[in-house]
Amino acid sequence: MRSFDYAAPVSLAEALALLAAHPTARVLAGGTDLLVQLKSGRRETPLVVDLKKIPELKAITFDAAEGLTIGATVPCCQLTAHADLRRVYPSLAEVAGLIGGTAVQGRASLGGNLCNAAPSADSVPLMIALSAQARVAGPQGLRTVAVEDFCVAPGKSILGPGEFLVSIFFPLPAPGFHAHYLRFIPRNEMDIAVVGVGVSTTVQDGKIAAARIALASVAPTPLFVKAAGDSLVGQAPTSEAIAGAATLAQAAAKPISDMRAPADYRRHLCDVLTRRALTATLGAQ
Amino acid sequence: MSTTTYHLIGTRPPRHDGADKVTGRALYGADLKLAGTLHGAILRSPHAHARIVSIDTKAASQHPACRAVVTAEDFPETPDRIVDLGEGDTPLSYIRGNMLARRKTLYQGHAVAAVAATSPQAAAEIAALIQVVYEPLPCVLTAPAAMAKGAPLLHGDLRCTEFGQPTTEASNVADHFRQVMGDSEKGFAEADVIVEREFTTSTVHQGYIEPHTATALWNNDGRLLIWCSTQGSFVVRDTVACMLDLPVSRVRVTPMEIGGGFGGKVPVYVEPVAALLSKKSGQPVKITMTRREVLEGSGPTPGSFIRVKIGAKQDGTLVAAQAYLAYEAGAYPGAMVAPAATCVFAAYDIANQTIDGYDVVVNKPSTAPYRAPGATNAAFATETVLDEIAEKLKLDPLALRLKNASKEGTRRADGAKFRRIGCVEVLETMKAHPHYTAPLGEPSHAEAKRGRGVAVGFWMNAGLPSSCTLNVHADGSVGLIEGSTDIGGSRTSIAMMAAEVLGLQADDMRPSVVDTDTIGYTGVTGGSRTTFATGWAAYEAAQDVVKQMKERAAKLWKVDEVHFADGVFSAGEHRLSFKELAARVGEVGAPVVGRASINAKGPGGSFAGAIVDVEVDVETGKTSILRFTCVQDAGKAIHPSYVEGQMQGGSVQGIGWALNEEYFMSPEGRMMNASFLDYRMPTALDVPMIDTAIVEVPNPVHPYGVRGVGEANIVSPPAAIANAIHAATGCRMRHLPMNPPSVLAAIQQC
Amino acid sequence: MPSVYIPALLRSATGGQELVKVPGATVREVVASLEREFPALVGRLVKDGRLLPNLAIGIDGEVSFLGLAEDVGPEQEVQFLTAIKGGRSEALS
Repeated sequence: MRSFDYAAPVSLAEALALLAAHPTARVLAGGTDLLVQLKSGRRETPLVVDLKKIPELKAITFDAAEGLTIGATVPCCQLTAHADLRRVYPSLAEVAGLIGGTAVQGRASLGGNLCNAAPSADSVPLMIALSAQARVAGPQGLRTVAVEDFCVAPGKSILGPGEFLVSIFFPLPAPGFHAHYLRFIPRNEMDIAVVGVGVSTTVQDGKIAAARIALASVAPTPLFVKAAGDSLVGQAPTSEAIAGAATLAQAAAKPISDMRAPADYRRHLCDVLTRRALTATLGAQ
Repeated sequence: MSTTTYHLIGTRPPRHDGADKVTGRALYGADLKLAGTLHGAILRSPHAHARIVSIDTKAASQHPACRAVVTAEDFPETPDRIVDLGEGDTPLSYIRGNMLARRKTLYQGHAVAAVAATSPQAAAEIAALIQVVYEPLPCVLTAPAAMAKGAPLLHGDLRCTEFGQPTTEASNVADHFRQVMGDSEKGFAEADVIVEREFTTSTVHQGYIEPHTATALWNNDGRLLIWCSTQGSFVVRDTVACMLDLPVSRVRVTPMEIGGGFGGKVPVYVEPVAALLSKKSGQPVKITMTRREVLEGSGPTPGSFIRVKIGAKQDGTLVAAQAYLAYEAGAYPGAMVAPAATCVFAAYDIANQTIDGYDVVVNKPSTAPYRAPGATNAAFATETVLDEIAEKLKLDPLALRLKNASKEGTRRADGAKFRRIGCVEVLETMKAHPHYTAPLGEPSHAEAKRGRGVAVGFWMNAGLPSSCTLNVHADGSVGLIEGSTDIGGSRTSIAMMAAEVLGLQADDMRPSVVDTDTIGYTGVTGGSRTTFATGWAAYEAAQDVVKQMKERAAKLWKVDEVHFADGVFSAGEHRLSFKELAARVGEVGAPVVGRASINAKGPGGSFAGAIVDVEVDVETGKTSILRFTCVQDAGKAIHPSYVEGQMQGGSVQGIGWALNEEYFMSPEGRMMNASFLDYRMPTALDVPMIDTAIVEVPNPVHPYGVRGVGEANIVSPPAAIANAIHAATGCRMRHLPMNPPSVLAAIQQC
Repeated sequence: MPSVYIPALLRSATGGQELVKVPGATVREVVASLEREFPALVGRLVKDGRLLPNLAIGIDGEVSFLGLAEDVGPEQEVQFLTAIKGGRSEALS
C-alpha cells in the first residue's frame, strides 16, 4: 500500500470543492471495499476524501408520507437497529444484516455497496426491487438516478468527475407489498454471492399488481430483469406463474465462470433462487 | 482400557499460557520489535514455470529507503548433499532452490529475490523495482498430466527411482515404490464382490491464521539470532546453519508463540532470507508473509489421483486390496505418498495387498506436511469403496469394518506389524454411540435430503528426540524447561506429567518453551509426538528430581533409604512433603535440577472415526453438516480438554477439506483464490458443535500410556461426509472438494 | 536371535522366505548377517554404509529414528519400511 493524504469535509460544498481540485481522489464511506483495495494494491490514490462527517450523508430520515432516505455513509448496523426501517422495509434490515460479519456491518454502508459497483453487491438487487433512487451531488448540482441504472460496468458507476452519492431514497411500499433478497453462498457467512436475487411483489385482490426482480453476480452489473417481473403482473400467485418468471430471469443472466462458481451452475441457481424468493414474498400474503 | 488412577492426569487444570493468550499479552513472532528493525519483502514469480533470464537489482538498490537486496547468488555455494531437517532425507539443493529460485521458477509465488527497507510499504515498493526477465515455460498442474509422455519437465536432472533403484529416465516422477503382501490376483479371484474406483483430490492448505514471520539479527559478534513462528526451533537452526554454511553453534533460534501450523510450519521459508538481509544491512530484519504469500509461497498439502480396488467375500471378509497412489509433490520431490501407502489399508487385516506409490513433481508450491499428511486423501478412497461394498453386501458399514479391523499382530503391506492398537475399540465405540442410531430428523425444506455416513482413519505418529530440564525452587514450585513449540496446550500436558510424578498440582509447575541454546535437542511439534515424547522426557526428568530429592532427604535425616509416595518423602518417623523438602534442600546440598533427554520409541499409532449427519439441498448441491461425532484412541488423555480440542480441530479441518477448500488454479498455473475470502475454509457458522468420544487403549511403552492425538482425527471426515452425501442422495462422490457445483452435477448425473 | 521381515519385492533374494532369523544386536549387524547369508541382498538394503534412501527401519512396527544404529533385542523383528521422502537429483546419484 502506498501512502496517501486524508481529508474529511464537513459539508457538501466543501466535499465538492475538494473533489473538483483533486480529480484522482477517492471517496471513503465505511472503507470496507476501498481500504482493502488500497492495501492490496488494486487501487491507488493520492487523496482519500472521507464523507462520514457530512450531515446529509449520515442521516436516516423516515417520512410517513414520502418514504425513507438513507445517507450514503450510514453503516448497516444503524439500519438493522432503526425501528421505522425494520417495520416498513423489513427486507432492507435483513440485507443490512447479511453484508459481511458483525465487525464489517459497523462500517459498511448501502451507499458504499452501490458505489463500489460490484456485480455481486448484496444490497443492490434488493434496492432495485424496492425501486430505490440514488441522489447524487456534483459540480452541476443534485441529480436523481434509478438504482438499476447506477452501475455500468464492474467497479464503474454513472458517477462523473467530482460527483458523489449523497443518499438513497426508498418510496413507501403499497399495501400487499413484500420484498426479499436471497443469495447463495457455499458457506453460511463471510462469502461473496455466487448468485443473489432481489424480488418484490405487490398483491392486490388476489392478483399480482406489480413485481420487480433483479439479480447479482450473473452479469457485469447488478441486473434488473424487468420482463421477469412484468410477466407476473395480472396473474394469480401460482407456482406456474413463479416458474415462468424464474425462467425469464434465468434467460437474462449472462454469468461467467470463475473461482467462485462455473457459469452453468450460476445460471441454474438463477432459476432456483428466483423461484424461492418469489415463493417467499407471495407466500407471505 | 485404562484403569490406573492418578491425582492429576486426566483432570482439566487451566493452561499456563491461558491468561496471556486471552488478554493479548502473549508474544507471537510479529510482536517482536527490536530497535532499528528493517522490514523485508520478497519478490515472487508471476509464472508457474519459467526460466530466469536475468535479475537486475540496480533500481531497487538505489531507492533511498533500501538497505539490502538479496538473490539466490547470495547463498554460499556449498556442494549438494542429503540432509534431514525434520522432513526426512532431502537434497540440500531442493531446500535452497525453494528458498530463493535459481535459474528457474517452478511455481507462481516462488521466491526470486528479497529486499530490506525502512518500512513495510517501502520494502514492497522496492521489491517491485527489481527487474526480472523470465522466459515462460509450459506448466503441468496435476499428477496425471505430469506423468504423461512428453509432459514438460520441471527438473532436467531428476531421474525416477523405481523400486529403490535409480533409473536413467528423466521424469517428473521422482519415485515409484511398491508394497506387496500376499497375492492380490489370487485374492481378487476368491472375492464375491469387487469394487474399483478412481478418485481425485485438490491441493489444500493448512490454513493457519498466523502467517510465517521471522526476525533475524546477524550480530556483530558473528552470532545469528532468530525469532520466528515455527513448529521446530531446532529444524530452523539446522536449516539456517546448513543454508548459510554456519556451525549450528553460531545460530540461536527462539520460538515465539505460534498461531497454528498443522505441519505447514515444519519447513523453513523466510528465516535464511531475513538472515542474509540482516548480514548485508547490519540491522535486524523482519519478514512477515501476507496471506497471499502464505497461500502461494508456503507449502500446501498434495492433490492426488488415487485408484483403489477392494475385494470381499459374501460374508464381508476382505480378501484383496490394491491401491495406486499418485501424489503431487509440488515443485520439489517429497509428496507424502509413503505415509499414504502406510495408512491406505492400515485399519484392516487384508491378506493380499499391492500398493503402488508415485511421488510426482508439478508446477505448484512445494508441498509441506498437513496433519496426517497423505492419509486423508487415501482414506477418502478406501473408506468410500468400503461403504459401497457394505451396501452391495447389505452389511452395516461399521459391522463390515469391525469384521476386518486391524488388531495386535496384524501386518501391514509395508511390512510393519501392529502392536496393541485401538482400532476395534474405536469402531465399537462408534457403533455404541447414541449418534449412530439417533433418528436423522425431518429435512428442513422440501428440496432437502438427509443422510448419515461413517469412516475411520489411522495415523502412525512419530517419536523422535526430546529434552526436558526441571528446576526445583525453594517454595516447592518447579520450573520446567522444554523446546517443543506449544500449539495445542502441550505445555500444560507436559507439566502435568512431571507434576504427577512429583505429587504436585499443575499450578506448581512453571513451564517455559525456550531457545535452542537453552535446552537439549528437541524434534518438531509434529507427528502427534509432543505430549507423547516431550511429556515422556518430563516424566524421566521428574524421576531424576525424585532421585536427587531422596538423596537430600537421606542426608538431612542421616538415613540410608528414603521412600517417596503420594508427594511425600519418608524414612521411619521422618516425613516431609515435596514442598517442605524443597525448602530445606539448601541446608544439605546443591540445588535440585532434574534433566532427561530421550529418543522416544513406540508412539503406537492412533485410530479415529467420524459419524456425520448431513443435509443436502438437492436443488443447489449445498451440503450442511448437521451433527458430527469424532471418536479417537488417545491411549491416555493427559488433559482431556486438549485431546478434545485436537479432535474438534482435526474434524473441522476435515470438513473444510471435504466441502469447499481447494487451490483453484488457472490453466497457466495461477492460484485464483489466494485469500481467505475465496479459499473457503469453514467459519463458525458452517460447523455444528463437534461431539467427541475419547477411547483409551494405553500405549504399552509409554509411562502413562499416551498415544499422539494431533492427526488421525482429520483422516476420516471427507470419506464420512461423502458416505453421508450418498446416504442422502444416492450419489457417490469421488472428487474433493464436494462443493455445491460438484454435488449438484453428481445429483444430475446419478 | 532377532527376526527380519523381508519385503515381497526382495524375497527372491531369500529364496522366497518371508521371515528369517539372523544374529545381530544392532540393525547394522543384522543387515551384515543378512548379506552374509543371502548375498543377493548386497546393495539392496545398504550402500556405502548407508541405508538406501527409499528405505526406513522399523522395529516391531515402529519407525526407528536411529536407523542402522538402532539396537535390536533377540525377540524383536526388523522391518524395511518405505522412507517418507523419495527423489534425488542427478547431482547426488
